[in-house]
Amino acid sequence: MFTFNDFLFLLQGVPNTLAISFLSFALGFGLGIPTAIVKQFPKYGLNYVADAYIKLMRGIPVLVFMLLFHFGMAGIVPLFKSAFLSATFALGFRSGAFQSQIFRGAMNSVGRNQMMAAVSLGMTRWQAFRHVILPQAFIVALPGLGSEIALLIKDSSYAFVLGVLELTKYSDIVRKATRSFFFPYLAAAIIYILITFPIANYLDRMGSRLKSRYGLR
Amino acid sequence: MGMGEVILASRGLKKRYGDLWVLKGIDFEIERGQTKVIIGPSGSGKSTFLRIMGLLEPPTEGKIFFEGKDVYSSNLDLNMLRAKIGFVFQEPSLFRHLTALGNVKLGLRVVLKMKEEEARRRALEVLKAVKLEDWADHYPAQLSGGQQQRVGIARALAMNPDIILFDEPTASLDIELTWEVIDVMKELARRGVTMLVVTHELGFAKEVADEILFMDDGRIIESGPPEELLRNPKTQRAREFLSRLIGGA
Repeated sequence: MFTFNDFLFLLQGVPNTLAISFLSFALGFGLGIPTAIVKQFPKYGLNYVADAYIKLMRGIPVLVFMLLFHFGMAGIVPLFKSAFLSATFALGFRSGAFQSQIFRGAMNSVGRNQMMAAVSLGMTRWQAFRHVILPQAFIVALPGLGSEIALLIKDSSYAFVLGVLELTKYSDIVRKATRSFFFPYLAAAIIYILITFPIANYLDRMGSRLKSRYGLR
Repeated sequence: MGMGEVILASRGLKKRYGDLWVLKGIDFEIERGQTKVIIGPSGSGKSTFLRIMGLLEPPTEGKIFFEGKDVYSSNLDLNMLRAKIGFVFQEPSLFRHLTALGNVKLGLRVVLKMKEEEARRRALEVLKAVKLEDWADHYPAQLSGGQQQRVGIARALAMNPDIILFDEPTASLDIELTWEVIDVMKELARRGVTMLVVTHELGFAKEVADEILFMDDGRIIESGPPEELLRNPKTQRAREFLSRLIGGA
C-alpha cells in the first residue's frame, strides 16, 4: 500500500532533481550565450564549431549522451565516474545548444534600428551588442528560458537510468517496496508538475511584464 | 554665408542596391553653423544619402569628407567620427530597456568614457534643453512619439557633435507632436548647431534653412535659399512636387 509516508520518502528525490536541472541550466546558459554570440559575429571559423555543436546536440538523444559519458568515458574523464555529473553535463551540453537558439531568436527580434542607433553614437558593434542588444534580448528570451528549465527538470528523470537518486528513481524504489504500481509514479508526476509549472509560469509572466514595460515585442 | 569651415562634404557619391542605383552622383557640402534642408519625393534617395553621410553605410562610389579628410581612404577611426556626427532617425529608435536619462547617458559613458556623475549632469542638461527634464526616469514606451523624438535629439546632442543629421524626424508623428519637435529643432538652429535635415516641414525650412536641396531620382536637381526655391522653383519636377506638397497638405 502506498501511504503518506511513502510520499514523504519520495520527496527525498527532489533535491537531486532540482540540482541536476539547475546546474545543467547554468552550464547551458554559460555555453549558450557564447555560442549565440559566435553565430552572430562569425570569426576565426568559430561559427562552424558552433554550428556543428548545435547540430550534434539536436540529433543525439540526451540519454545516449548520459550513457556514453558515464559508462563509456569515465576512464578518460574522471568527472564522469559520478553518475550525477554525467547526467548534469549531458543535459547541460544539450541545453547550451537549445539556449543558444533561444538567444539568437531573441537577439534578432531586437531589431536593426537599435543596432543602427547605437552605432550612430560611435559605439563599436560589440559595444552596441553588449549594451543595447543583449539586455533587450535577455528579456525577450525569458519565456523561452522558462520552457527550457521545465524541459530540463523533466529530462533530469533520465538520470534514473544511471542510478542517480532523483525523483523518478525514488518513485521506482517505492514502487518496488510497496508493490503499488500506480500511485508512486502518479505521485512523481504530480510533484514534477508542481515544480515545473510555477517556474515556467513565473518566467513567462516576468517576461510579459518586462516586455510591456519596455515596449518590446 | 556660413563661417567658411566645411564640416561634411561628398563628391560624386553613388549608391547601388543590387541593380538599382539609388544615388547617382551627389556633390554636397555644409559649413559649420549652417542648416540645410533636403526635400524631394519618396524614393528619391534622401534617406539613403543621409545614412551614408552619417557613415552608417558605405557609398558604392565617391568620397565623403569630414573636416576636409577623406573618411574612407584615410585611417580615421569610423566609430569616433560617428560620435561627432549626430543622427536622429525617422522611426523611434530609443533604446527600449533604458529610461530617457539612460538613453542620453549611454553614449557618454560607453563612447566618451565619461564618469557616471559627469554623464548624468550632461544628460540632464540636454534633456532640459529639449524640455524633458521631468521625464528623465520614464521608459520610451511611456513617452509620446514627440517626446521620444526629443529624447532622440537630446541623445545626439549630448555627444556634442559637429553636425546633426535628421532623417524625417516628424514623419511618423501627429501634427501637434510635430510642432514640439520642430520647435526644438528651430531652437538648435538658432543656437548655431550645424544641421542637415530631411523633412517636408516647409515652415521649418523657410524659417531656419540657409539652403534647400531638392532631390529627385538619386540626384540633387535644384538648390537655393528657401524663399527662392520655394517661391520660384526652376525645375519642372520641383514645381510639381511643391505644388502637390502645399496643395495636398
